Amino acid sequence: MEITCEVNGQPVTVEVEPHWLLADVLRNQLGLTGLHLGCEYGVCGACTVLMDGEPVRSCLSFASQVAGHQITTVEGLAVDGKLNRVQTAFINHHALQCGFCTPGFLVTGTYLLQQGKLLNREEIREALSGNLCRCTGYQQIVDAVEEAVNQQSANAVECE
Amino acid sequence: MTEQAMRPQFMGARVKRVEDPRLLTGQARFLDDIDVPGMLEVAFVRSPYPAARIMGIDTKAAKAAPGVRAVIAFEDCPVVLWQKDAYEVGQPVLAHGEVRYVGEPVVAIVAENRYVAEDAAELVTVHYEPLEPVLDMYRSIAENPRRVHENASNVFFYKKYTTKGFDEAFPAAAHHLQETFRTTRQTAVTLEPRGTAAMPDPASGRMTVYASTQSPHRIRGDLAELLGWPENQIRVIVPEVGGGFGMKANTYPEDVVVVWAAHQLRKPVKWVSDRTESLLTDVHARDDIHEVEVAFEDDGRIIAIKDHLMADGGAYPAYPFSGAVGETSLASRVLPGPYQIPYIETEIHCTYSNKTPLGAYRGVWGPIASFVQEGIVDRVARAVGRDPAEVRRINMIRPDQFPFRNAAGMVYDPGSYGESMEEALGLIGYDTFRTRQTELRKEGIYRGIGISVFVEPTAMASSEAGSVGYESVFIRVEPTGKVTAAFGLGPTGQGHETTMAQLIADQVGVNVEDVVILHGDTDSAPFGGGTGGSRSGPIGGGAALVAGREMRQRLVKLAAHLLEAAEEDIELGNGQAWVAGVPDRAMTIQQLAEIAYTHVKRIPAGMPIGLELVARYQPERSVSFSNGTHVAEVDVDIRTGMVQVLNYVVVNDCGRLINPLIVEGQIYGGVAQGIGSAFLESLRYDEDGQLTTTSLMDYLLPEATDVPRMMTKHLVTPSAGEGGIKGMGEGSLIGAPAALVNAVSDALEPFGVMVNRLPVTAEDIRQWILA
Ligand code: FES
Ligand code: FES
Repeated sequence: MEITCEVNGQPVTVEVEPHWLLADVLRNQLGLTGLHLGCEYGVCGACTVLMDGEPVRSCLSFASQVAGHQITTVEGLAVDGKLNRVQTAFINHHALQCGFCTPGFLVTGTYLLQQGKLLNREEIREALSGNLCRCTGYQQIVDAVEEAVNQQSANAVECE
Repeated sequence: MTEQAMRPQFMGARVKRVEDPRLLTGQARFLDDIDVPGMLEVAFVRSPYPAARIMGIDTKAAKAAPGVRAVIAFEDCPVVLWQKDAYEVGQPVLAHGEVRYVGEPVVAIVAENRYVAEDAAELVTVHYEPLEPVLDMYRSIAENPRRVHENASNVFFYKKYTTKGFDEAFPAAAHHLQETFRTTRQTAVTLEPRGTAAMPDPASGRMTVYASTQSPHRIRGDLAELLGWPENQIRVIVPEVGGGFGMKANTYPEDVVVVWAAHQLRKPVKWVSDRTESLLTDVHARDDIHEVEVAFEDDGRIIAIKDHLMADGGAYPAYPFSGAVGETSLASRVLPGPYQIPYIETEIHCTYSNKTPLGAYRGVWGPIASFVQEGIVDRVARAVGRDPAEVRRINMIRPDQFPFRNAAGMVYDPGSYGESMEEALGLIGYDTFRTRQTELRKEGIYRGIGISVFVEPTAMASSEAGSVGYESVFIRVEPTGKVTAAFGLGPTGQGHETTMAQLIADQVGVNVEDVVILHGDTDSAPFGGGTGGSRSGPIGGGAALVAGREMRQRLVKLAAHLLEAAEEDIELGNGQAWVAGVPDRAMTIQQLAEIAYTHVKRIPAGMPIGLELVARYQPERSVSFSNGTHVAEVDVDIRTGMVQVLNYVVVNDCGRLINPLIVEGQIYGGVAQGIGSAFLESLRYDEDGQLTTTSLMDYLLPEATDVPRMMTKHLVTPSAGEGGIKGMGEGSLIGAPAALVNAVSDALEPFGVMVNRLPVTAEDIRQWILA
């Protein structure tokens, strides 16, 4: 079957089998290999993408389900070649080591950023608990997300 | 102050990683991202039995399935690991006649894609005649119920060591206690699973192997030896690696089969493990028993330790590093830890079983030995009724005793053992803890504090990754003045492209962003041991310093000649060379490089053309000890048995730091793994020999909410090696489990609990409280 959706702001039409997973189609058909498969059953979060702004596990979603929806992958987070706030905070706080889990954390972190709410560290840990990282011990990831989310929210509060 | 000293020093600075941008934008290329036209994929048919005879294999239906290109069994690919090494048993890369653990590869299917390969794997019928599995270490030692390998004893490694005088000292001590410490199987669980891709290069006829490994030259050598090919016909390229932790230091059966298939089919072939396969077949670790007897005096001074160490090595020694031997033999030598315990006796049995081979997982012996050693100290403290910190003080090696030869003959270079403990106790507020603890207990809150003072042997001449005691660097100042350096290391997230660039930039006098570090390609990198055993910083970094310094000398010589000054007067920095005190008598490194490559008549006599060289560094001492102290504060809920880690302090001494940001990342990550080791992670076999924890729903990894905010502090006791660097990749996981379970023991002191197993689960705790 043919599906049409929007991926990272671009309209995309792609031929898929009904049982093909979104993760595989993004990686294999569309060449978006930034999302990673760490478990293929919804536990690790490395395959997280945004669908209409909400995080979803692409290893659990069928490609056919995204017809007519907007998908954002890690490749779509930087705007005009400029890293977004979460990505920049990840560099500053050394929030990644091997980087395999990182796309999932960035997507989840960007989702939190877009919610525009102030979050304390416990809330951030809770919000990130669906993403596994084996290298960092999470501390610098929480630091990075905290900085990105709260800077943004602080700015928003000032503007109001 | 000279101008030289005013240059920014990259070593020791919190330099941001050059690796990050590609990883943050989805541009990094991991193994599964490698795809070339016509690439075939592999699925393995694996043994469902822990032990069985293979009576027949029917591959007809699989061969006939559309899209299948090859079905491979041992007869087709008769390669055996360990064919000419120490152990009597070789592991066939595909089972031969008998299967010896669940998950052992039996048949490989090569097909157009993974879906087809996996479907065809279902069509293979293997006829098995089950055998009684060997599952218990004690019984295995007694060859019970049978031998795992008919022609080899189940005990594949045995060793005994006794300090002179032990026999007199042990019985003479005032007190004795006994304990059996047990660690359960765990495994590294890199977030990126294992994988290999191989493609014949049509132009040269050579084989290019993409390997998710820590040790590029080692795997090249292994493949060459096992397949009988000349080494120079194989090029190993290591793409981005999503974590290693020792587990990716092995050469696995699947690696050999994939390369063999690519060779036979003259096609690119790839295999990537799924998570179930990972938990079944990535090397396991930590399946050890320590039966310990301790002799000590009234004041808590420990006189002697007797330890019977046993490790279940699984069905085969993992190739080329048996984790069972590594875990026990090193544990037996570092068991006294930071304490001046004068006498030790150790006896080691490593046994075969019908379980997955035991290999390396970060820290290898360390998390086990620290857990035993710190468990001993806490038991002694409780036995003599003194504070655990006090008993540690009494036994601690003093600064004036370095270099210190421990009871097992290991020589420690200087460290900050006592100081690290005092700092850590200060940071966590140990002074006031006991009062707080008493108050809280009145309210029914069981809070405990656990101390773990560790030593970490690093920069070892041989480790799971490197069979060589040195590292090499090829360095080139390009004609444009930029620097390229290639290493034989195999980083898996440690940021070597940044840290090695920092070291070289300082030496050559350029900015860190002008240095490009290459690694993981055996065609460009000089021969090296790879990454593992905390050797990349001290040995790889040492080689970077030596290479940088030799290049600096070349540049100085050239600049002195061209600027008509004495070599001693030449300064280098910021991409410039100048005459000291006369900053306008200067040339850029770019100008120097241009001359070195193109206007070669201007080079001084005797100096080689160009700016390229290879440097090697082998530390004089075969090992250097990092050290530190972890202190954990936990609450134990006595109704649910749940443990919450509240506070965590690490005081770490790894000599001179290259990049504190990266060192701290290693510490935080290791402590999180320590929380997994202490409370969550356990590979469990049932009584039939089936692994019951084959998904991340059963094998639990720490999540963000399981890990507390940690506080770290660095102490610096430089090593005698290049740059004063000591390794530090493993220490955090060595120290953490002991601190955590000691905290649980402390919290449950009113119930007389002393934790003697890793991990300790909520269920264990509930049972102890009821008992
Ligand atoms: S791969 Fe989708 S959650 Fe792990
Ligand atoms: S950085 Fe390696 S798994 Fe997260």
